[in-house]
Amino acid sequence: MKGEKRQLMTWPAMAALFIFAVFPLLIMLFNSFQSDDGTGGFVISNYVRFFSKNTYLKLTGRTILNSVLVTVISLIISYPLAYIMAKKLKGLKNIVMVLIIIPFFTNQLVRVYSWLIFLQDGGLLENLLNSWGLLHGPLGIMYTRTAVIIGLVHAFFPYMVITIYMALERMDNSLLEASTSLGASAFTTFRRVIFPMSMPGVVSGIMIVFVPCLGTFVEPRILGGVNGTVIGTVIEDQFFEIYGWNFGAAIAFILLAMVLLSMAAISKWGKRYDI
Amino acid sequence: MKKSIASKIYVLLIMIYLYVPIIVLMIMGFNKSRYNSMPFEFSTEWYRALATDSVLQRAALNSVILALVTGVICVVLGTFFILGERYLSDRLKGIFNSVSMMPMSIPWLIMGLSLLLLIRFFNFDKSMFFVAAGHVVISLPYSLLVLKARVQSMDTSLEEMSASLGAGPFTTFRRITFPAIAPAMVAGGFLSFMISFDNFAISYFLMPAGVSTLPIEIQSSIKFGFTPEINAVSTVIIGVSLLCLAVVGLIMGSSLKSMVGRSGK
Repeated sequence: MKGEKRQLMTWPAMAALFIFAVFPLLIMLFNSFQSDDGTGGFVISNYVRFFSKNTYLKLTGRTILNSVLVTVISLIISYPLAYIMAKKLKGLKNIVMVLIIIPFFTNQLVRVYSWLIFLQDGGLLENLLNSWGLLHGPLGIMYTRTAVIIGLVHAFFPYMVITIYMALERMDNSLLEASTSLGASAFTTFRRVIFPMSMPGVVSGIMIVFVPCLGTFVEPRILGGVNGTVIGTVIEDQFFEIYGWNFGAAIAFILLAMVLLSMAAISKWGKRYDI
Repeated sequence: MKKSIASKIYVLLIMIYLYVPIIVLMIMGFNKSRYNSMPFEFSTEWYRALATDSVLQRAALNSVILALVTGVICVVLGTFFILGERYLSDRLKGIFNSVSMMPMSIPWLIMGLSLLLLIRFFNFDKSMFFVAAGHVVISLPYSLLVLKARVQSMDTSLEEMSASLGAGPFTTFRRITFPAIAPAMVAGGFLSFMISFDNFAISYFLMPAGVSTLPIEIQSSIKFGFTPEINAVSTVIIGVSLLCLAVVGLIMGSSLKSMVGRSGK
């Protein structure tokens, strides 16, 4: 009897989530099947429009490519850092960990704006490179995909460092000793023992970078300008510039489908590494 | 030896990349130029401007209030949820857990816009209520994660013992459960506070006209001409956040220690 009553304690949180998360998404789904020209009824024209126009398909491709680039670059940056932290730095690793966490306490928009100040033509980086004689003339990075990628990698790679570090830290060092004492070279030990055992961290790192990257719109808009258009910025424009709310809702659901599909794919792939 | 120097240089390079924006904004907050241009000329003008800028102060206050409300609601809802969750049937538990984690995987852009469509669907007026509801929904999963981790490692036999010794449910909660999960409540609340304080997407889409938060002010000043005041205010925020982090760390650290000490006896 007590258990029955105590279950009720879960309901306030569930009610909040159903009313303000699940229900609005259902309304959005409903909207995505309404047409924007005021004629009522159930239509699939919004989805047809998206998939029949080259522009939107290209944008989808660009959004996915951005996420792939950001994920790969983050992995290249994060793995060695996590490895050094876990295996090489002894007392210093806690300090490095704190240093990785501190930037989370700065506002996302402010960080993006700082990149703009730093990268823009006539900005800080250009001044620095010119005064060192490494560059003559304008830098030309701002408002390109490069600027977007620099900003997005900066926003996401710390998460990956943390997940990979945690996987490496959990590893039993006696396995490494066993591998070395059985005659494996340092590289073989890394390839056959360390890397496979760190895979759960790599997989969750990929998940935590790739998936949210698909839905970003702030970095692409500010750092990429017209060259930064991705699905996220198109959805925002549909809602606030063009007032094609129903079409915007349809694109939002296509984005959501991409997010859920990639999550499912990554977690299915990750299952192989869970020991 | 060489290798360890190489790895330290690598760490240093990544740290430089990580800290470029923070260093830039700190420098520019003290730079005289309004357009963030070089050469650098030291000035505290932007900090002085901050002290008299009522719009920015109002926005900062709104952000703090909104984040506090979000943090408190998330902790209350989250604590009730994890206390009741243990008594759910397995099937219901599975459904509830996936619903409670769902907002984590959905882009905030979509969460914000779907709430906007809800408001329009029922012809409601935009209000702070919906902004707060949006913030609660996106922050709740994070506080739940923190709370769940704590409850799972908790010794439930203590609660049973307390009940069998005649303590009522409220007394058991106050004397046994609450002290055990208090650090997680602080941590979960802090996390929700930070998520809400930093949130732009939800606030931007749902905020009623004439009200703004710090992220919204920052965005509009990026759009319509950025003043280094924003750099100054960001520097202040980083300082305050680090202070809060240190305080939370101390609270959690000492309460964890006292728990360990108690169980040692």
